[in-house]
Amino acid sequence: MLQLRELQRSFDSALFDDASEAVAPWVRGCESDSANGAAIDAHVRIAIYRNNLREGFRKALALEFPVIERLVGEDYFRQLALSFLAEHPSRAGDLHPIGEPFAHFLHSRFEDTPYAYMTDVATLEWTYQQSLIAADAPPFDVATLRDIPPEAYGQLRFSLHPACGLVRSPYPVMRIWAVNQAEATGDEVVDLSSGADFVLIRRAAEGVEMRRIATADFAILQAFSQQAPLADALQQARALDPEFDLGEALRRFISLGVLAAAHTTHSTSPGVTPP
Amino acid sequence: MSTRLPLPAAAQLPLRAGIGLRAQHHADIVAHRPVVGWFEAHSENYFAAGGAQRSCLTRIRADYALSLHGVGLSIGSTDPLNRDHLEQIVRLVHDFEPMLVSEHLSWSSVGGRFSNDLLPLPYTEEALRHMATRVRDVQDALGRQILIENVSSYLQFNCSRMSEWEFLTSLAEESGCGILLDVNNVYVSACNHGFDAHAYLQALPRSAVKEIHLAGHTVRRIGEAEIRIDTHNTHVCDAVWDLYSMAAKRFNGVPTLIEWDADIPSLDVLVAEAHKADCIAGEERAAAA
Repeated sequence: MLQLRELQRSFDSALFDDASEAVAPWVRGCESDSANGAAIDAHVRIAIYRNNLREGFRKALALEFPVIERLVGEDYFRQLALSFLAEHPSRAGDLHPIGEPFAHFLHSRFEDTPYAYMTDVATLEWTYQQSLIAADAPPFDVATLRDIPPEAYGQLRFSLHPACGLVRSPYPVMRIWAVNQAEATGDEVVDLSSGADFVLIRRAAEGVEMRRIATADFAILQAFSQQAPLADALQQARALDPEFDLGEALRRFISLGVLAAAHTTHSTSPGVTPP
Repeated sequence: MSTRLPLPAAAQLPLRAGIGLRAQHHADIVAHRPVVGWFEAHSENYFAAGGAQRSCLTRIRADYALSLHGVGLSIGSTDPLNRDHLEQIVRLVHDFEPMLVSEHLSWSSVGGRFSNDLLPLPYTEEALRHMATRVRDVQDALGRQILIENVSSYLQFNCSRMSEWEFLTSLAEESGCGILLDVNNVYVSACNHGFDAHAYLQALPRSAVKEIHLAGHTVRRIGEAEIRIDTHNTHVCDAVWDLYSMAAKRFNGVPTLIEWDADIPSLDVLVAEAHKADCIAGEERAAAA
């Protein structure tokens, strides 16, 4: 095991730490190279693998954050991806999870700069990605509510559908996302000071859908996602909107497929809720 | 030493060539049901707990034979076998009942850091013992045989003591795995390292080869020299079709798959490529009859 382990560690250093001299002694000389009779240096051969790693990582990241790539441009995105790879290399045989720390990475880079809004755009894109792959769940069964005595309503805990996510931002992230879709045309300029967004992400028959929702709706759904009892959740919504109509809101959430279940005891919810 | 696991009788893929399944084609496949033998899905693309991707695979599986092809198990790594990843594959095999399950003769991680690439192994006794143990572990977890595919490589290690075909053949004997023969990868590596692709095919045991892959590659110029890169972004080249004729003759009746993973064209281009493979394999079968 020793030789193979040492070889793999050296190869890993050559790929990630640019230390191709670590693995070059392991690489066969090119005397026997028949292609055009010309030799290709070991360092050039190793660089092919390093390039594959960087390009594969960049492409996978761009698939998850197309709006960020469009906002910063391909060249700068390539640089960002390279720095991100150095700090947060893939930890799994599946590339899909690589984007999880990207919003945090952007925050550490762009906090207190005019580009601070990109953190929230990345959070929105990551939540969208999570919604795509979240578990399926049957539609909310209204009959479960009938069996609950009215005096127990306050202690009801609603759970959100696993594919449902909530993102709030002081920036108009929903608008930024919409005008930066591949099919969007024109050079619409979004005024960053044009207001905060409270966004609901959910999975519909046609795919993942995002919509702006009222602050009271957002507050009660967020309380549901944290397994708060209905009485507390309602209080949070009413603090923002004294006219908040619970019955009407629940009907709306059920028709949107946002609610998964209601329990009278505490349980954990697998809902997509970014930090 | 040999622990050959028999394939269940139902695990036959059709003779007609299959194509690699890509999400871009899901809707088109469901709507038009192209005439291809089967589909091969990259296991990692269907690790999702739910959602549209998985439900599309369920619909496609209802109409077609399927194989699962993993790119991320890092089976040749000296890290402990990634049990979470393996569990995901076990779950997919349970849910989708593929005819074949395959992985690569490669490694992609060490110290928990993943390149998510198919990195070459040195062909040593130590690496052979390691691979054979790992393949057996995976087969035990899945309760079935897996196939191991030869990869394209851009360098060789000077500690190697045997050829790639000797390594693969010994691996199949020692672990009981089958061989997924990627004819394009044989050609790419033969050009890059100056060995004889025909000798490679002649040396592989007929009974161990259970599937054949075909794909396109790219020639990159580096100074005066050139190197071939396994890009899966274009048509199968003429030299690889020629090599495929030989493979189709030697491994008569082995299912063939067309892979195209980047710059993905419309579905009909892939279907036409699969039909071309069918014509070549059909000629070889007729000549053999």
